[in-house]
Amino acid sequence: MIDWGPLILTAKLALVTTIILLAISIPLAYWLAFSKSRMKPIVETLVSMPLVLPPTVLGFYLLMAFSPGNSFGAWLQDWFGIRLIFSFSGLVIGSMMYSLPFMVNPIQSGLAGLPNSLAEASYVLGKSKMKTLFSVLLPNIKPSLLTGVVLAFAHTIGEFGVVLMIGGNIPEKTKVVSIAIYDEVEALNYTQANTYSIILFIIAFMVLLSVYMINGGYLKKFWK
Amino acid sequence: MRYRVLSFLKLKFLFSLILLVSVAGCEEEKKNHITIAAAANMQFAIKEISDAFTKQTGISCDVVISSSGKLTAQIKEGAPYDVFVSANMKYPREIFKAGFAVEKPKVYAYGQLVLWSLYEEIDPSIEGLSHENIQSIALPNPKTAPYGHAAIEILKANEVYELVADKLVYGESIAQTNQFITSKSSEIGFTAKSVVMYPNMGNQGHWQALDTTQYKPIEQGVILIKKEDSDIINSTKFYDFLFSEEAQKILEDFGYLLDNRDLNSLR
Repeated sequence: MIDWGPLILTAKLALVTTIILLAISIPLAYWLAFSKSRMKPIVETLVSMPLVLPPTVLGFYLLMAFSPGNSFGAWLQDWFGIRLIFSFSGLVIGSMMYSLPFMVNPIQSGLAGLPNSLAEASYVLGKSKMKTLFSVLLPNIKPSLLTGVVLAFAHTIGEFGVVLMIGGNIPEKTKVVSIAIYDEVEALNYTQANTYSIILFIIAFMVLLSVYMINGGYLKKFWK
Repeated sequence: MRYRVLSFLKLKFLFSLILLVSVAGCEEEKKNHITIAAAANMQFAIKEISDAFTKQTGISCDVVISSSGKLTAQIKEGAPYDVFVSANMKYPREIFKAGFAVEKPKVYAYGQLVLWSLYEEIDPSIEGLSHENIQSIALPNPKTAPYGHAAIEILKANEVYELVADKLVYGESIAQTNQFITSKSSEIGFTAKSVVMYPNMGNQGHWQALDTTQYKPIEQGVILIKKEDSDIINSTKFYDFLFSEEAQKILEDFGYLLDNRDLNSLR
C-alpha cells in the first residue's frame, strides 16, 4: 500500500514556499524591473545564482548556518527558541532560496516588457505607485505571474539536494517525495519507488502542460 | 611526389606507434587496477587496507564510497566494480542471488555501534538520550543501513525508543550521519566504531561503545563481482588480502570484531 505522507508533505512544502515566495518576489521583481541602482546587477546575480549552483552548495551552507553548533544557529535557538535544521521551516527557507529565480525572473521580465505608457497614464490620473502596481501592472502580466507561480511550485516539488542535506529524512516532517523515492530505491523497493516516480511524472507533465496551454492562448475562454 | 609518399609512410608509422602505445597503456591499466565499492562505515579502514594492498601487490585501487544499498543497486545495473565491501550480508546475498557474483558472500568483520557527540556538556549514553538537552539524535537510515537498524534495536532493548522517537533524524548513510554529528547539527548520534577510531574523527568530542549484546551482530560481507577472467585475478587477490593477517589487523585497529567468538567473549 502506498504511503501518501511524503506526497502530502511535498504538496504542503511547495504550497507554503510558493505563497511566501510570491509575496517576496513581487516587490523584488518590481525593483529589479524599474530600478536604475548600481546594486541592480549584483542583486540580479544573487537571485539567479541557484540556477547555476548545485543544490549541494546551498544545502551545505544551510547545514552550516542552521546547525545549533554554529553562531547563527545558536543565536536562533537562544533568542527565538527555533531550530531550522531538520525542520519543515528550514526546508521552506531552503526551498525559497532554491526556487527564487523561477519566481522572480518571469515576473521581472513581464514587468519590464510592459509599455511605459501604462504606468505613466496611471500616475497622470493620480494613482499611487502601489495602486498602479496592483491594479494596472500586475493584471497585465497574468501569464508571467502564472509562469512564476507554477515554475516555483513545480521546482520545489522537484527539489532534492537541499532537502537531502538539511532535512534528515524524518517522516511527516522532512521526508518529501523525492527523498522517499531515493530511500525506496536504496532499500531496493523498486515498485514503491516506481509508484512515487510515476505520480511525480504525471504531476510535472500536467503542471507544465497547463502553463504552456494557458500561455499559448489555448484556454483563453477560461483565463482572461 | 616521393616526398609525399615518404611523409605518408612516416605518418602511418607514427600513427601506429601511437596506437600501439595507447593499447599497451590500456592493457597495463587493465592489469594492475581494481575498483572497490565500499560501504560508508568502511570509509577510513578501506583506505588503509587498499594502500597496504597496493604496496604489497602493486595493484592500484580506486575506492567508491557510498551506502551499501546504493552500491547494490548500481552493481545490479552493471556498475564496473570488482569487489563489493558491504556493511551487511543482506545486500551481498541479494547480488549473489541476482547472479552478479562469483561465489557466495563471506563475512570479513563484525561492526560495533557507538554513540558520539561533539557537544562538551553531553556525556554519551543510552539513558541520557531522553534528556531535554538533546533535541536531535542522528542515525543512519535503518531501512538501508545495518548500523541504523542496530541503533533502533538498542533503543528498543532499553525501552527508550518511544521517548526519543521524535528526536530521530536519519542520515542516508553512516557518512551523512557523521556529517550531522560533526557539524553539530545533532547533539548526538549513532555511528560505527570504525569512524571514531579514525584519529581525525575520534579525537573530536567523545564517544561511547554500546553493549554488543543488545543488538544483532553487524555481519559485514564482501563479495566478488563477476568479470572477465583477467580482472578476476586481481580482485581475487584483494578478496584474499582482506582476510589476510595484515588486513584483519587493520580492521581490528579500526574497532571491528574479527569473528563471532570475539562477540561471545564480550558477552
